[in-house]
Amino acid sequence: MKNIKFNNVYINNYFTLVSSKANNPTILNDVDLSIEDYFLNKKTFEEGEVEYQTLVTRGLLDKEHKKLEDIDLMIGGDLQNQLFASNYNASKYEVPFLGVFSACASFIEGIIIGASLIGRNKLRNALVVTSSNNLVSEKQFRFPVEYGALRKKVNSFSASGAVSAIISNKKSNIMVESANIGKVIDMGHTDTNDMGACMAPAVAETLYDHLKSTGRNINYYDVILTGDLGIYGVEYLKEYLNKKYKIKSNRIIDAGVMLYNATKDSDFAGGSGPICAPLILFTKIIKKYKKILVLGSGSLHSCMSSNLKKSMIGVSHAVSLEVID
Amino acid sequence: MDKSEYKKIIKSKKPKEDEFKNIIISFFVGGLCGIFGQALTDIFNKCFHFSINDSYMLTMVSLVLIGSVLTGLGFFDKVVSFCKCGLIVPTTGFAHAMTSAAMDTRNEGLVKGIGANIFKLTGSIILYGIVVAFFVSLIKVIIG
Repeated sequence: MKNIKFNNVYINNYFTLVSSKANNPTILNDVDLSIEDYFLNKKTFEEGEVEYQTLVTRGLLDKEHKKLEDIDLMIGGDLQNQLFASNYNASKYEVPFLGVFSACASFIEGIIIGASLIGRNKLRNALVVTSSNNLVSEKQFRFPVEYGALRKKVNSFSASGAVSAIISNKKSNIMVESANIGKVIDMGHTDTNDMGACMAPAVAETLYDHLKSTGRNINYYDVILTGDLGIYGVEYLKEYLNKKYKIKSNRIIDAGVMLYNATKDSDFAGGSGPICAPLILFTKIIKKYKKILVLGSGSLHSCMSSNLKKSMIGVSHAVSLEVID
Repeated sequence: MDKSEYKKIIKSKKPKEDEFKNIIISFFVGGLCGIFGQALTDIFNKCFHFSINDSYMLTMVSLVLIGSVLTGLGFFDKVVSFCKCGLIVPTTGFAHAMTSAAMDTRNEGLVKGIGANIFKLTGSIILYGIVVAFFVSLIKVIIG
């Protein structure tokens, strides 16, 4: 698989929002905005999620002192049916918009598309936005919210909030170095409770492709941040990498696990949702590490695919970032 | 790596659920639920002088009502996640599943929301309950 190398593409700024304090997210003090609200004065939590995206879009424009007409492209992705949140957020601005879906790897996909267009001097900048809302995911993928369905230890907890980032060719301290687009992997896994198990092979394959296409050793990176594999998903990943490619690393950190500080004693495996990877990346990782590989991981199942007894398929996209002093 | 080899990895790393604890909790909670139901039946039968068949039906209706109201008040989901199947298998679980589905979809309208979705989880119980009742009655008619 080919590695996409970018010239002069930078993440200029970002805006992070956590909108639920349930299960004590570890980053409450590091985010730009933390609230406790699923609705934001709307009647439904579906519309509440649209408001999350609006908050981070407007917040980022204020933070970066930019006006809407300065934005060349907006890229949005979320988990709601047919990208409800992203589309309705985009309808509030007159800005060219691309909706993307890679489940929980949507944000990374957005960064790759944006960076590719900017790197070829087609655009000046792109605003990438994603969100998730715990109640929306519960209702859409699991059981009614008030049902309180029985959960297993491998279940993840959908995080609530939104993240936006602006990328451009204007120099800043986070450089988007290169990217690898992942393949959709089917390992015949069927348990919808255990999403880590369907994403782990996809992450492993993309990681291997990236290392092979760049000729790098895994230790080239200070940290490898996976999206939302959960505590058991990371174990599957390590075992898979070791068995298939003889790759070992103790630098793999999972954003979902880190978000809720999940351990094997926890009732759940960690956080999930497209916001996990960017939330942890922007609040913790870029402050600590220089060479970073982010592997967004998405489980591409739907209610239809699980009703039809299809196996769960996963995808993972990789972006290599460098923090410059 | 083929699929069966990957299945082995998952099997070796997957956490074990504490099934024994869940069974014990469900057993006692379900039992308490049963005692409560029996008490209700006795009250209807002895204190209000309903026939025993009417008392059973009233008990059923009361349990569904109590379950629905508790779900509506918003804390039954937390109780259920602790009590496991102890509250899901009895008829309280039926009420809970029905009410929670209705609450979830109330903003989508009375017809396309609540109307279409209230039996989302419990529709199969009703359908197959009727089917089984039909065949059992048929057997009874044939045998005599």
